[in-house]
Order: sequence, then C-alpha cells, then structure tokens
Amino acid sequence: MSLLQFARKMAPAQPGPAPLARRAEIEIEVRDVTIAFERDGGQFVPAVDRVSFDVRRGEFICLLGPSGCGKSTILNSVAGFEHPFAGEVRVAGRDVTGPGPDRGVVFQQPCLFPWKSVRANVAHGPRMAGKSRAEAGAIADTLIEMIGLTRFASALPHTLSGGMQQRVAIARAMANKPNILLMDEPFGALDAQTRSIMQESLLQLWSQVGATILFVTHDIDEAVLLADRVLVMSAGPGRIIRDVTVDLPRPRSLDTTLDARFQELRKECLDLIRQQSIKAFEGTPHV
Amino acid sequence: MADIPTSGPVPVLDARRIATAASRRRRNAALSRRINILVGLLSIPLFLLVWQLVAQAKIVNAILFPPPTEVARAAVEWIASGEFVSDLSASLRRVTIGYVVGAALGVGLGLLTGRSAFFSGLFGPIFQILRPIPPIAFVPIVILWFGLSEGGKIFLIVWGVFFTVWLSTHLGVQKADQGLVRAAQMLGTPRRRLVGEVVLLSALPFIVVGLRTAVGISFYTLVAAELAGAFAGVFYRIQLAQQNMQTGQVFAGLLALGLISFVADRGFAALAQRLVWWR
Repeated sequence: MSLLQFARKMAPAQPGPAPLARRAEIEIEVRDVTIAFERDGGQFVPAVDRVSFDVRRGEFICLLGPSGCGKSTILNSVAGFEHPFAGEVRVAGRDVTGPGPDRGVVFQQPCLFPWKSVRANVAHGPRMAGKSRAEAGAIADTLIEMIGLTRFASALPHTLSGGMQQRVAIARAMANKPNILLMDEPFGALDAQTRSIMQESLLQLWSQVGATILFVTHDIDEAVLLADRVLVMSAGPGRIIRDVTVDLPRPRSLDTTLDARFQELRKECLDLIRQQSIKAFEGTPHV
Repeated sequence: MADIPTSGPVPVLDARRIATAASRRRRNAALSRRINILVGLLSIPLFLLVWQLVAQAKIVNAILFPPPTEVARAAVEWIASGEFVSDLSASLRRVTIGYVVGAALGVGLGLLTGRSAFFSGLFGPIFQILRPIPPIAFVPIVILWFGLSEGGKIFLIVWGVFFTVWLSTHLGVQKADQGLVRAAQMLGTPRRRLVGEVVLLSALPFIVVGLRTAVGISFYTLVAAELAGAFAGVFYRIQLAQQNMQTGQVFAGLLALGLISFVADRGFAALAQRLVWWR
C-alpha cells in the first residue's frame, strides 16, 4: 500500500453533499473520479481527471479514446483493481472497495489459468461461489456451448487460438452471472477478421444475457457498432469530452457499418478523436 | 477487374524423379542418425580404452593413476563387502532428509517473502548476505556445534538447498502473473485461497528450476558434510581409501558420486515435466 493510499484510508469521511437521489435503474455511478500515478521522483501525474458518468442497467457503454487516455484506468476503478484518488465509484448503489464476482472482467489478454482446462477455467468462478463440482461443471458446459467450443472443453488454453482463448475468457467472466461485464479492449490483440466475428457474437451473447456492459476501446468502428452510448475521451489527463448516443436499431451486425447513420456517428467520433490526437502529437497542453 | 487465370499449363514433375530424390534424402538422414547413435555408444568405451592405455604405458605412477580394470576390481570388492550399500544408504539418507527439509523451508519462506513486503524487508537482507557463503565454509563451526552427529551433516545440506529454493520461489511469487491474480480476484477467489489456487501454480515453473538446481547442490554439500567426519558414506569411503593409498577405491567412489547425482538429476527432470504439466 502506498503512503497516499494509506493516508486516504485514514482520512475522516468527508461530510459531502447529500447522497444523490437513487435512481433504481443506475447500475454504475462514476463521480468526479481522479486517479493519479506516482512517477519516479515522487511527482503525481493525473491519468484520469474528474470523470463522471452513469451507466443504466442493461446498457452497453463504450469508453472511446486514444491510447494512454486513462480509459482502462477508469474500467479498473469500476472493477476494484484501482482506487480513485478522489471521487466515488458506486456499483448498484454501493461503493466499490475491491474486485468481486458481481463484476465480470475480460482483459485485453485472455489471462486464462494455463494449468486448467477450458471447462475448469469457466467453472472456477462458480466453484469459488461455493457451487458443487457438478453444478459448476454444468454451468461451464452451457457457456462453452454458447461460445461454440464444446469440442475443446477439456483442452488446455495454450492449445487454442487467440480468438478462442478470448471467447473462453468471456464465458469465464459470465459464469458467475454478473450484472456487469467490464471489457478492457478484449479484441485489441485479435486480427481484423476474428475481431469482427467476435463483435457480432458478443452482441448476440449480450442480447441473451442482458448484462450491463462497460467496454473500453480505441477502435471507433467497434465503439459505434457495439454501444448504446459512446463516451469519447481526451488524453493527458483523461476526461470525457462527449457523450454520443448511438441511435442505431438493434439487432446490429456487420451490415450496420454500411448504414448512413453509422457513418455520421463514426465521423462525429473520428473528428473528436482526431483533434485529440493532433493535440497530443503537437504536445499542446489543452488543460 | 480481371480475374487471375487459375487454369493453364502446370509444370509437370516427373513422379519417379521425386520418389528417388525423396528416398535418397530419407536414406541419408537415417544413415547420419545411425552414425550419431554409434558415436554416442562408443563415447564411454573409447574413454575407458584411452584411460587403460595411458595407465598401462607407465607414463605416470600406476598407484596414483590406476587403470579402469583396477577401479572395476575395487568397485566389485566394495560392493561384495556390503560396504557399498551401507555407504550409499547413509549418503542418500542425508541428502534426502536435508533436501526435503531445505526445500520445504525454501518454498514456505519464499511464498511468505514473495507475497509480503514486510517479511521480504525483514528476511531479504539476511538471506542475501548468508546465501553466498559456501556451505563448506560452515564445516568447522558445524563440527563444534554438532560434533560428528548426523544433525550437523543434515544441517549443511539444508543450508545449501534452502537458499536456492527460497530465492527461486521468492522471485517466482513476485513475478506471478498479475493478470491471473486479477482474473482470480474478479471471479471471487477468496484471499486465503489465492496463494494456493493461483500464486503458487503461477510461480511453479520458477520453483521447479530452483528445486532442480538444489538437487545438484545437495550432492555438492554432501561432500562437505561427510568431510566434517562420518562413519559411513560415499565420500567418507573416498577419504578413507585415500588415507590407505587405495586409489582404485578412490576412483570407484568418485564414479559412484557422479552416477548417483546424474541419476538424481535425470529423475528430477522427468518429475519436473509432470509437476508443470501444462507446459
């Protein structure tokens, strides 16, 4: 634990403003979150600066921004891996204090347990939740069938392709039936063809399970194709600069990308991102 | 847009020529493989032959440099007298007890210091200073502490094994894949099960390397331990033979030491493959 974390822990609770009116449908609340990292030399560099947003139950939200804008940091604070410097992160009305099975996480790398079979990887969550071996196995089998890998259920992860491993990671994250799925550039390491197949199958899975999804990406097409709302971020330090509502009908597929409205939304995001990239490239501080 | 023509004249390859070329290549590969095996089989007999010739040529004193035949005679005598079995079992017993105790302590404390900054700070500096001291340097003090008892010999082997296993476990735990730890946490793995379910397995490839290195170290340290004075043991027999100028017996002892540590290392390598089964 760093000294600052410790100091924050010991600080008396601020008599802050009255709690916000609890709207039942709000699943994730991020309020004025600032997260800084300590550089060598004791200097604190903010990665995320006063970011606020809400995610409603069952909503698919994409955090879109250039690399290094702190979008993964925000996701990690919702997952409970990272603790905000200032501000609050609440899930289902409760402050996030650490990671938990109510929030499934899919990382950029599959992060599967290399010593466990596909089936045992997916069954790990239910086992930890106290389910019997048979029950957990049955849950795993159902999910593995949904991702189409029944034939590979007893294979070890390293024998599968990158796309297959990431499908297993998604199934594993869903095995505890979490209300929230947090996805941190899950398709970033895959080739373009595999990625577009994965996007379509994720949309299909989502329509079946109806979880709330917070999805981090730097791929504009991916964000517009998947999301109900795209939160566009600026870089250095990360802030949300626009909340773009994607009013494209569902179900969506790869054909949606040919839609004129899709192109409009894509253009809107692209312009914002490009401005940010130019600023970053020229090194102009925009704070 | 023009399609690239996919039909047309295809160069015809003579099937017979391909077949002969392939079979020639196969024959050559089989031949060179056989030569390599033959050379491998000849390695030891050739070495013995050269040794025998040099020893018989009386270039050096035959008492100081006995021929293989003399070494073999001494070995047979050693085995026939029953001393070989008692020496071997005394040595193996020390190595086994010392290794198991040292490795268990090493893995346990490595997990502790690897996981906790507090214990790493507490033990790390001491271990780092004690680690480079060769176990053999402790022989004089061990004789004072333990006399000629077995405790002192086992202590030396524990000492030799412990630091290697501790360091590799410590590093393995520190380098445990954070992605896997996070994955386990988000799946609801309780803190107390995180070490056994994820950290230990994640560090296992490192630990196994340390354990294998420690097999070799335990045999080096055995020599130091028996140097401290013993009543049986392979190295004890070598020392005794040296005092009686039984050089054949000395060489037979050295060969026995080489053989048992070779077998132990190979045995451990085979075991290691099962320990890290997912690789």
